[in-house]
Amino acid sequence: MILVNYIACIILIVLGFYVILTKKNILKIIIGMGLIDYGINLLIISIGFNPGGTAPIFTFTELKPESFFVDPVPQALTLTSIVIGACVTAMALSLVIKIKEKYGTLDADKVRRLNG
Amino acid sequence: MMKGKNRQVKDVIVKTAADFFTPIALVLGFYIILHGHLSPGGGFQGGVLVASAVVLIYLGYGYNEVSKKFNMEIIKKNEALGAILFTVFGLAGIIYGSVFFANVFTNIGDVGDLISAGTIMFMNNSVGYKVLTGVGFLILLMIGLLAPDNDN
Amino acid sequence: MQHFPILSIVTLFLGAFLTVIFGSKNETVRKFIALVASSISLILVLMLIKPVMIKNNVIQYWLGNWRPIHDWAIGIGLEVDALGLFFGIIAVLTIFLSIIFSFKYTKKDSETDKYYVLFLMLSGAVLGLVFTGDLFNMFVMIEIMTFAAVGLTAFRNYQEGALEAAFKYLVLGSIGSSMVLAGTITIYSQVHTLNMAQISALLFNNLTPSALFAFALLLAGFSLKAFVVPFHPAAPDAYMSAPSSVSMAFSGMVNKAGVYAIIRLVYVLFHAMDFKSVQILLIIIGTITMFIGVTMALAQNDFKRLLAFHSISQIGYVITAVGVSTALGLTAGLYHALNHTLFKGLLFLTAGAIFYATGTTDLNKLGGLARKMPQTAAIFLIGAFSISGLPPFNGFVSKWLVYQATFQANLAPVTIIALLVSVMTLASFIKVAQSIFFGQMPKEFENVKEVPLSMRIPMWIMAILCVITGVLPNIVTKYLVSPAVTAALNIGKYIDLMMGNGYSEKILGKPIEIPAVDFTLAGYWDPIAWLVLFALLLIAVTIVAVAGGFNAVSLPTEVDDPKYDVFFSGEASEHSHVKGNDLFWGLKHDLRHYFGFMHDAHSGIINDYALWAIFTTTIFIVYIFLLVP
Repeated sequence: MILVNYIACIILIVLGFYVILTKKNILKIIIGMGLIDYGINLLIISIGFNPGGTAPIFTFTELKPESFFVDPVPQALTLTSIVIGACVTAMALSLVIKIKEKYGTLDADKVRRLNG
Repeated sequence: MMKGKNRQVKDVIVKTAADFFTPIALVLGFYIILHGHLSPGGGFQGGVLVASAVVLIYLGYGYNEVSKKFNMEIIKKNEALGAILFTVFGLAGIIYGSVFFANVFTNIGDVGDLISAGTIMFMNNSVGYKVLTGVGFLILLMIGLLAPDNDN
Repeated sequence: MQHFPILSIVTLFLGAFLTVIFGSKNETVRKFIALVASSISLILVLMLIKPVMIKNNVIQYWLGNWRPIHDWAIGIGLEVDALGLFFGIIAVLTIFLSIIFSFKYTKKDSETDKYYVLFLMLSGAVLGLVFTGDLFNMFVMIEIMTFAAVGLTAFRNYQEGALEAAFKYLVLGSIGSSMVLAGTITIYSQVHTLNMAQISALLFNNLTPSALFAFALLLAGFSLKAFVVPFHPAAPDAYMSAPSSVSMAFSGMVNKAGVYAIIRLVYVLFHAMDFKSVQILLIIIGTITMFIGVTMALAQNDFKRLLAFHSISQIGYVITAVGVSTALGLTAGLYHALNHTLFKGLLFLTAGAIFYATGTTDLNKLGGLARKMPQTAAIFLIGAFSISGLPPFNGFVSKWLVYQATFQANLAPVTIIALLVSVMTLASFIKVAQSIFFGQMPKEFENVKEVPLSMRIPMWIMAILCVITGVLPNIVTKYLVSPAVTAALNIGKYIDLMMGNGYSEKILGKPIEIPAVDFTLAGYWDPIAWLVLFALLLIAVTIVAVAGGFNAVSLPTEVDDPKYDVFFSGEASEHSHVKGNDLFWGLKHDLRHYFGFMHDAHSGIINDYALWAIFTTTIFIVYIFLLVP
């Protein structure tokens, strides 16, 4: 329950949405999608923190039934979310390579042949 | 003339650094994969570190050398092989009488050994193998698109 | 028996991985693997009908054998009850028919092994979504579904606009998934568990502000996957650019996964259907979706884009019927979801057959194909009459139930709008039939033949199923739809079976009473009588035609007599085909301000589409904070 972490998460997510809404270059839109993902990852980690707790690893620290450790479930969720973020970036970048070959431009105002 | 000589010096520095760091990256990556059930890390993290050896060799030697060392068809088939191994170890739970993903190899080693923890160790290693081939294939594909512009 | 759900999901994923190793060179091997994987999945799911739907068992399955300890859930669980199995049956049927259709349809494409890999992963993800009982598992399956769908949309990248459609789908889908993840995390910080049954028990009467915030985010995220109206603009582009067997899977499976997630969220997780404000929100969204979908469809020039807008409009019917939270409303919604898969899949397959035969789907270039492709024309007419709601086909039964449900809940304006939308649907399909099948044929389509047999078999199977579900509604309701409705409304049993008996009594303090699920179909609707009447009329028309009553005397116009020249400006007219676009010119001229505004609003720029999504999410959050106590 750290206040600085939560404020940083909100700033990252709002900046990510701002970039998707106002920037016209397609590569900047991909960076905005990544910013939203990283902000949510920080939020997940911050939720599982217990102040004064130790790491939940069984063999290298002496973890007895009465010790106090941080929550391990959000750490597993963050790992999955990081992998998903990397895959989204890879797929979006390969689409951008083919768009540049076919349309010749990377401006969102000109990549709009399907409308109406 | 000065530009040619500076380029040669920079090439030698980058090539030497790539030669020095590639074994370190490989050993560290495989260490993290194999100790996934004992310490933080696991399949995905170690796999990405091993795949970064591809980037180091590309920086040192250029695209021609890299494409001679790695054959893209074999890497793609190995990735699917890693995924099939993961599913087969999950189905081993049903074959041995319990539910899917159950831990059925419980009498292999003691707690804290390298070969212990039953099904988790096998599934962790297959995930590591899948990620290292998969991310390596992805990096090779994207470097291949840059090749005609940025040779060596 | 209890291993069947997980086996049906794993078979599809294993088929995808095996195709990469063995199927990249040999075409027969990859088709064989795809057919075997989808058949095994179909058989396993159909064998689950008897225990789950008829005997009312619920299969619960903890992965890895991690059962709950001290009444706290620590593992991932699959829970297959009648509601999940209903959507599962829809999904496997679509997968099986689509794979059979795509054997000949992808003949001219290169690298079809990637097509089969992506399609099998899409189907595995949809089945995983409807069978799971864990909230984060649902998020992961939604992500796999989005990736496979984007890959399949950009499959024919030589076609105009396929790449930009895939990019827009990826950006909007990623925004939706991020909202679902943020909602899941907010719920986790409140109850510290991810199992849906336990969340439903712990949130029963204490809706704190963070739970309300999570509800708004989850509702917005799942609505984006189901393509309800302010979130819809990526859908027509994506349905238009994908190959037709994949478009059928999109509108049959992927939309229904979003609808299933909304039903599970609103009815089971949050018990939110007791609040009047949530009902009104769902009904308003559904009505706007119905109306905007069909009015945009009247002005389109491309066949598949028109079908995509109609698909959005029919999903509006389902959401409206779900929002009227009586038992009759929920029955109407689920029956219409089943019918929509059948007739919309049929229409997309017809579009695929026309594209295979002629190479274009532009309505301004086609014409008069009914003489060359008679079976396709007959199947198209069955589909068009089903979607408009004419007896004796299946659209009539489910739309009649929707009208009755909204009228009994004192919502007469909604009934009137639903009737109006039905009439406009019929109008736009008459326009399409005139453009494509009737009229005169342009010269370049002289050599068009009927499509091959393996493409016609799935179309005939779906047409027969359309007729059967229309003529026998009692059997379908008793065996398939009513168990699903009972499962959605009976929350106490869901919680008990997952967490052990007596858990819901401990937490909630009293057993939840089950609302009485009985209804009567009002009106004197007897489908067999309508079928007999239809057959009698057909026999009468045939007798008159054979006896020569329809012989019109036709005057030849190419007679070389100079006295006719003043009518033709000196030349004989050759091509006088009335295009479909000219049929409703009066309506389009009168409402030209509305149509012009809508055409400009769908501008194709991706920043505008993201602005609509974020604006609507903000309205959801403010509404739910203000009105739900």
